[in-house]
Amino acid sequence: MNEQTKIRNFSIIAHIDHGKSTLADRILEQCEAVAQREMEEQLLDNMDLERERGITIKARAVSMDYHADDGETYHLNLIDTPGHVDFNYEVSRSLAACEGALLVVDAAQGIEAQTLGNTYLALEHDLEVVPIINKIDLPAAEPQRAKQEIEDIIGIPAMDSPEISAKLGTNIHDVMERIVSDIPAPGGDPEAPLRALIFDSQYDPYKGVIVYMRLIDGRVEPGSRVRMMATGAEFQVIECGAMQPLGLLPKKGLSAGEVGYFTASIKNVADTRVGDTVTEAARAAAEPLPGYRKAQAMVYCGIYTEDGSKYPDLRDALEKLQLNDAALSFEPESSIALGFGFRCGFLGMLHMEIIQERLEREFDLDLVTTLPSVVYKIIKTDGAEVSVDNPHDYPDPGQIAEAREPFVKAAIITPQEYVGNIMPMCQDRRSVFKDMKYLDSTLVELHYEMPINEIIYDFFDALKARTKGYASLDYEFCDYRPSDLVKVDLLLNGDQVDALSFIVHREKAYGRARRICEKLKENIPRQLFEVPVQAAIGGKIIARETVKAMRKDVLAKCYGGDITRKKKLLEKQKEGKKKMRTLGTVQLPTEAFMAVLKLDEE
Amino acid sequence: MLGIYLHIPFCASKCSYCDFYSFPGTAAQMDAYTAALCKKIAAFPSEPADTVYFGGGTPSLLGGARLAAVLDAVRARFPLVPDAEITVECNPDSMDAALLEGLRAAGVNRLSIGIQSAHEDELRLLGRRHTFPQAREAVGQARACGFDNLALDLMYGLPGQTAEKFLQSVEAVLALHPEHLSCYGLKLEEGTPLHRAQPVLPDDDAQAETYLALCGRLASEGFEHYEISNFCRPGRRARHNAKYWDLSEYLGFGAAAHSFYRGRRFAYPRDAAAFLRGEPPVPEETVDGFDARAEYLMLRLRTADGVSRADYERRFGDFSAVERVLRPLQPHGLACCGAEGCRLTERGFLVSNAVIGLFL
Repeated sequence: MNEQTKIRNFSIIAHIDHGKSTLADRILEQCEAVAQREMEEQLLDNMDLERERGITIKARAVSMDYHADDGETYHLNLIDTPGHVDFNYEVSRSLAACEGALLVVDAAQGIEAQTLGNTYLALEHDLEVVPIINKIDLPAAEPQRAKQEIEDIIGIPAMDSPEISAKLGTNIHDVMERIVSDIPAPGGDPEAPLRALIFDSQYDPYKGVIVYMRLIDGRVEPGSRVRMMATGAEFQVIECGAMQPLGLLPKKGLSAGEVGYFTASIKNVADTRVGDTVTEAARAAAEPLPGYRKAQAMVYCGIYTEDGSKYPDLRDALEKLQLNDAALSFEPESSIALGFGFRCGFLGMLHMEIIQERLEREFDLDLVTTLPSVVYKIIKTDGAEVSVDNPHDYPDPGQIAEAREPFVKAAIITPQEYVGNIMPMCQDRRSVFKDMKYLDSTLVELHYEMPINEIIYDFFDALKARTKGYASLDYEFCDYRPSDLVKVDLLLNGDQVDALSFIVHREKAYGRARRICEKLKENIPRQLFEVPVQAAIGGKIIARETVKAMRKDVLAKCYGGDITRKKKLLEKQKEGKKKMRTLGTVQLPTEAFMAVLKLDEE
Repeated sequence: MLGIYLHIPFCASKCSYCDFYSFPGTAAQMDAYTAALCKKIAAFPSEPADTVYFGGGTPSLLGGARLAAVLDAVRARFPLVPDAEITVECNPDSMDAALLEGLRAAGVNRLSIGIQSAHEDELRLLGRRHTFPQAREAVGQARACGFDNLALDLMYGLPGQTAEKFLQSVEAVLALHPEHLSCYGLKLEEGTPLHRAQPVLPDDDAQAETYLALCGRLASEGFEHYEISNFCRPGRRARHNAKYWDLSEYLGFGAAAHSFYRGRRFAYPRDAAAFLRGEPPVPEETVDGFDARAEYLMLRLRTADGVSRADYERRFGDFSAVERVLRPLQPHGLACCGAEGCRLTERGFLVSNAVIGLFL
């Protein structure tokens, strides 16, 4: 066990591309925590997808020893944090496990909106924030301006901050010394009943769930009987220890102030929710640590495999992903158009995209997904309240006394010149303006209450497009509000396509229906006969397009009795047809579904 | 009864759209090829035949004497019935009086002449060696020599071609009073000069309109539209080509010639040298998913007679499997189903690939 005063627990806050992962690598090098030859770029992000997207999806932690200039050896725990609003809760738990945070700011670009949110979050958790000015090797670097910005906007001293280049390894030693000198050692009582905060967990096929935690009070060792205070699940600890860059290091025990892991043959990651408090079964703490929140899915969509026979593979894949991602939920559903699949729940749009991408990449599945939906609450005329996350389950309008849709509190941080672009866009999306404040002379924060339905539709893309990518969006669930909702159905050749139905505010129904009909028309290949594409509310048609009939598809000649050519041509057509889904009398390619999903603003 | 196909791979020059097997031949090559044909023909078991078809390439380039020699070899092995149809494909630029008289004397009774267009710009674009006046003159000469069964070819869907422009060619060709007319839509074949030039073809809608206008015009002239691309005066169907669509037997000789014989499909390699060496034909490539039934439907649906209920039931059993697919197309004007069987309409011909696809 490490002496409590020699422990430093910290995380790194940085805007995407400002060099968080590179700095993490350099810190590991300074501690010789990993041999040079084993050093892969950006070691902490160990999912392929993370490395490619340059984002951290799941929090990770690593322990290392640093021999400081004062002659002492310090035990450093670096806890990595995800960088996206969908994972805000995970960020908050990661920060709660630290006493300090390095704030990495690009010397050329200065402070960015996205960094602010996490910095404020860190300050809220009473973390010591240590500014680091990175990328001083860039020709456009203006370290002084960056420092001034930090002082002006965040209000913490920054003038003597280390100026570094993580890429070149310049002045990393200064960073190390700052970690030791500026970040406080953890408090906590090793003799008190165990209280440890779970900030992440991961499923390992051999060990079961590996629980990552920060011990606030008490101790844990192999053999300890522990209880999860929120879920009530109890386990006997089999192994505990520290996270090292390239694996786990079992130890005899962990004590207050330390960051580490334990395993206990836990089968289900849902038993060890992020944010829960681990305590002793025999000597339970009186109060759990604050801030536990059950992961709540905000966005739902149906996921199907392009090849219907891969349905069992999809189920296996989702089960495997869920082992590591308690926030992912799924249950079987079926669609006439798409066959058998799953209704999946996600924290937000990025979470959804990441899961879809991992399914395709890590499990080699070709997916078809339906339009994302949020969870609506419907009060029926008989007084019953039902939650609807699937348009298929939307009650008949005659049975609805009141329909409610979820709203979020949205904060948009943007350079002020784009405010004029953003405000009409929010208004158009039924948002309620709350207030606007200047963060500094150029940066503005706008507060709105917005329906999530509007955010998941196209808001991110529209926001990026109208602010040249400078604006950032942060949101948290607010409440449910009465709303004039309607369910829109799509019909091909008069037959309803269940997978394309969606729920929308009545005012938006016409515009959206029209665009979806247009998209379908563009993406449905001509059939042997004219195919009407219609959108309807109840029995009333609100939009219509027509896919014209195919006019010519013929091989003029069978040359000198050679019919192989024609056979091959037809065979090729047949191969193409396999990728089509037959809906009643219409052949619909997967792309048509995809196109409807990607309703970018034109 | 058996049909005999003879592939003559020689061409004076290559047309810009053509990916058939052909090359300019020397007199010696032509002699050797003629001899090889005769030898192969003589190697087959004898049985009567009722059609002979010289295709190419440009069979007329071979000259009357060589064609007559081949025809003699055919007759020696495959006794021709008295009214046998004997066709030679000709290009207008290689048809002189000597050739035509030679063919007449040898018993050829039908000529298929590749006119393709009445517009000089289109003929140039296609890389044809003749002009339309030359074609007109060739037809006149054929008539003068006593040929009373002429099949003329036209092409539509050419780059920049409007329906109106194509119909001008149709009128010009009708003025030559053909007994038979074939109109093929241009298909850009990979590897051809025209394909490389990436011309803009009329779109599918325009081509469909052109085709339907053609059908209407020829119907008003009393032509029978008996196959997707083939029209004729009553009683003048191409009996040899009909074998391809009837699943009748035919034997092909020469490089790249295909056969359907005793239930098997085979072809000589696309290689004149190999043919001269005497290499045997090889089985046609089989295509997955194409059983006898699919092949039958694919071929029969090319014809105006369509799929006969009786014939289908004799071969494959329950005809309702066909009706189930084609009957729903009837209200859309693509097919006609009745007691006798099912057939595609002219609109149905235009999308016949997609229709046949429904059976695969």
